[in-house]
Amino acid sequence: MRSIFGKGLAVVPLLLVAALAGCAAQPGKPTQAAGAGKASDFSEWPCLSITLPCGKIPNRKPVKQALAGALNGDAARGKVLANERSKGNCVACHQIQGAEQPGSKGPDLTTYGTWGRSDEETYALVYDMRWRNPDTVMPPAGINQVLNDQELRDVIAFLQSSK
Amino acid sequence: MTGNHRLIPLRALALAALYAVAANAQAADADVYRETYPRVAIDPAKGVAGADAADFGATLQYWQDEKSLEQNSQWIGDLEHEWKLNWKFLDLDRSDDMHPGYLALEKGEKLFKFWAKREPSFRTCLGEGKTDLKGLAASYPKYDPKLKKIMTVESRVEHCAQTALWENFKQGSPANNQISLYFKSLSAYTPIKVDTGSAEIMASYQRGEKLFYAKVGQYNFSCASCHTSSGLLGQRFRGQVPTSPFGDAAHFPTYRTGLGDIESLQQRFMRCNMQARTKALPPGDPAYTDLEVFYTVLSNDYPVSVPSVR
Repeated sequence: MRSIFGKGLAVVPLLLVAALAGCAAQPGKPTQAAGAGKASDFSEWPCLSITLPCGKIPNRKPVKQALAGALNGDAARGKVLANERSKGNCVACHQIQGAEQPGSKGPDLTTYGTWGRSDEETYALVYDMRWRNPDTVMPPAGINQVLNDQELRDVIAFLQSSK
Repeated sequence: MTGNHRLIPLRALALAALYAVAANAQAADADVYRETYPRVAIDPAKGVAGADAADFGATLQYWQDEKSLEQNSQWIGDLEHEWKLNWKFLDLDRSDDMHPGYLALEKGEKLFKFWAKREPSFRTCLGEGKTDLKGLAASYPKYDPKLKKIMTVESRVEHCAQTALWENFKQGSPANNQISLYFKSLSAYTPIKVDTGSAEIMASYQRGEKLFYAKVGQYNFSCASCHTSSGLLGQRFRGQVPTSPFGDAAHFPTYRTGLGDIESLQQRFMRCNMQARTKALPPGDPAYTDLEVFYTVLSNDYPVSVPSVR
């Protein structure tokens, strides 16, 4: 057994250390990332427990949220939010403009602005994708307060400016 | 034995109370909106062989044994394909001749031998009467009819430290992790055999399976959102690629390079939960124990690989 994966692979742990160190250096520790940026243990959200109160908290039901008034988003701020791990973290699953280490699960959004989707539809989908796809893995950033209204508007403006 | 007749009415009372709680919980649950991720058919009798299912990436063929790992070793370090090896190339002594998992093992062995010498009943408690602990950890988690509880390796160590040593080696503590790692290493290369014939184990398995699909936390994620093919399994998720839940329990407790420390399976659940912005439960929590039973049944027939590094 030792012969197969012996000395030749001594670099693997080193690579791992480098990769994990890279992760650790990312901003936004999960324990400090909830809601409006204040420390939280997430006990206000549903959990797996059968004994703690959070085990009885319901999921928030899917909503198709209407966009109130004009978008008034800031695309430059939106770009930062979409790439920021403690905020939108869209980059975890999507290829987006300015992305480092983008994910591959969601569609490539680098030219979203050419798709001809309205601000209203885009806002509603980022707010909560579940009204269109109940089995989505996309976090409902609006209804679950990952982003506030203005942050959502900024992200939508960034997407619409991606051409 | 002598006190048995007095226990019976107590048991009846406890049962009645349990039924009352269950009935209440059902009534309360009926109007609580809870979402679940689409469920996948898993046959617990198949154990680790279930990893050949497309729903879980069908990766078993690449890591099921030494030969498969050797044939696909060119994938190591290749982000596109590496996940298919399920990190099994880091098991035991495959990764390095002397990785920090062995240092943790050494500490665990010293600690265990120190206490077992001072109080021999610590050893027999861990062995449930046996003094030779070889191979015993491979059947955990198991139902203990005397304690009337599902026991994990870690909860056994905690229990025995309490009863034999009057020491508090709480689950998740360094002492517990080190002794658990040592205890489990005595079953290295032994195929995992969680008793799927036990009614208590299967009830726990089914609760754990349900938890695997429960959407929780601020991100509304379930375990399955990341660890099934309809979710993120095999997809790049930032710099990482989520892998199959099959075979995973075999290498815990394991040395985590990123942490610089040992981590038990339930501590891994805690970190998963926190990363998905979900309340982390304490090690030994009944929900985590059910999840561990579910996960370990998915490793049945796969050899224990402790000490390992991840």
